[in-house]
Amino acid sequence: MHPILVQIQVVYALIMRETRTRFGLNRLGYLWAILEPMLFIATFALVFRIFGRVAPERMPIVPFLATGFMPYLLFRETSGRGLHAIEANRGLLFYPQVRPLDLVLARVLLEIATSFVAFAIIVGVYCVYSGQFEVADPLQVVIGFGLAAGIGASLGLILCAASVFSTLVERLHGPLIRPLFWFSGLMYPTGHLPLAYRTLLSYNPIVHAVELTRAGYFRGYRADHVGVAYPLMWIAILAFLGLTLERVARRRLVLS
Amino acid sequence: MIVLNEITKTYPTLNGVNVVLKGISAVFPERKNVGIIGRNGAGKSTLMRLISGSEQPDSGTIFRRGRVSWPVGFSGGFSGSLTGAQNARFVARIYGMDIDAVAAFANAFSELGEYFYMPVKTYSSGMRARLAFALSMAIDFDVYLVDEITAVGDSRFQKKCRAAFDDRRDRSTLIIVSHDMTTISNYCDTCAWLRNGQLHFYDTIEEAKAAYECYGP
Repeated sequence: MHPILVQIQVVYALIMRETRTRFGLNRLGYLWAILEPMLFIATFALVFRIFGRVAPERMPIVPFLATGFMPYLLFRETSGRGLHAIEANRGLLFYPQVRPLDLVLARVLLEIATSFVAFAIIVGVYCVYSGQFEVADPLQVVIGFGLAAGIGASLGLILCAASVFSTLVERLHGPLIRPLFWFSGLMYPTGHLPLAYRTLLSYNPIVHAVELTRAGYFRGYRADHVGVAYPLMWIAILAFLGLTLERVARRRLVLS
Repeated sequence: MIVLNEITKTYPTLNGVNVVLKGISAVFPERKNVGIIGRNGAGKSTLMRLISGSEQPDSGTIFRRGRVSWPVGFSGGFSGSLTGAQNARFVARIYGMDIDAVAAFANAFSELGEYFYMPVKTYSSGMRARLAFALSMAIDFDVYLVDEITAVGDSRFQKKCRAAFDDRRDRSTLIIVSHDMTTISNYCDTCAWLRNGQLHFYDTIEEAKAAYECYGP
């Protein structure tokens, strides 16, 4: 059998296995996947209301926050789940056709699917509730999520491979990722910032993924300062590093 | 057939590099069951992981012909939070086998009863080994790599394992590692002794037995 077919078979089996452990262990599993972003959005919608703020340009608050949080969460989850991929699946690496790369791929694909379903449910429910439904450019929303997942996945692969060499990676991951929550334009449109700050934030590839998602969702949303090319460059570099490191890590992997 | 060519394997430890295998070369021919004997910590399990391909040697090459199993043993091969049945389905999928057939076979062969539908982390090590053994039997391998587990379970289960291997003697090869000479003499045609990172082959089990027992177990 061709190696690529074997790999597809393995990744599919791993997705089925991850579905069990990600959602199946307690009955609230599926619910939690939707509840977490909902809690984020509800909290910040409440904060906006308390301080008497409305979303910029009178965008509806729930889609405004959802288009920010959910690509960000997708990035955070894919990178974090990549980091812990080996630790959670060490036993399965005994099967020679299962490699660390497959573990990361399976987790990322499942995370993307989960994120899309959660986004569709949250936005869908809101649309039914508010009676308004318009997505300016659905394809661009998909691209925004895709870029967020791509950055998270390639970073996750680096972290996964690096975790073979040092436990330091796990300690550093949280403190390094957390500030991005405030600097990724989740609760403010970066287009409204002073030029100096906007330029600074534009170095963060997550900003591009978030703003592209928003521009895809809201008609007339100003996102001229972001583009696909810059995050794609990040993905290319991170993926190259990740794939290289995974090759090295695969040889150094100690199973028991 | 499996050919090892100058295989070296080291592991980093806190006290420096631990050289486990020092340039092992060997040929494991088809239809000839080989036992590998050695004391605890001699590197038997490491050798099995290298032969299966689940770990890579530092240097040297390994040639495999036919379908080689994973190292069937007490440790590894399962995700503890899944049930025996779910693990069986996973293994069926990655080897491209019929899922229901593999699960049914593993259920019947392992004789785990209702434990088959409980998470593997609730199993005793004997039960894990039985599941591993049953799963490997559900998939037709050309070469079986077995790590210690044939001494598992009650005598009835041991007889069953024995019968299963006898049954496929004409199409499968067995490579078995153990620290117990009795296990090896039960299953194998020839024997090798893994000692000081080197593999010493003996023509007959008796010779190996004499040498190993003379050295002192």
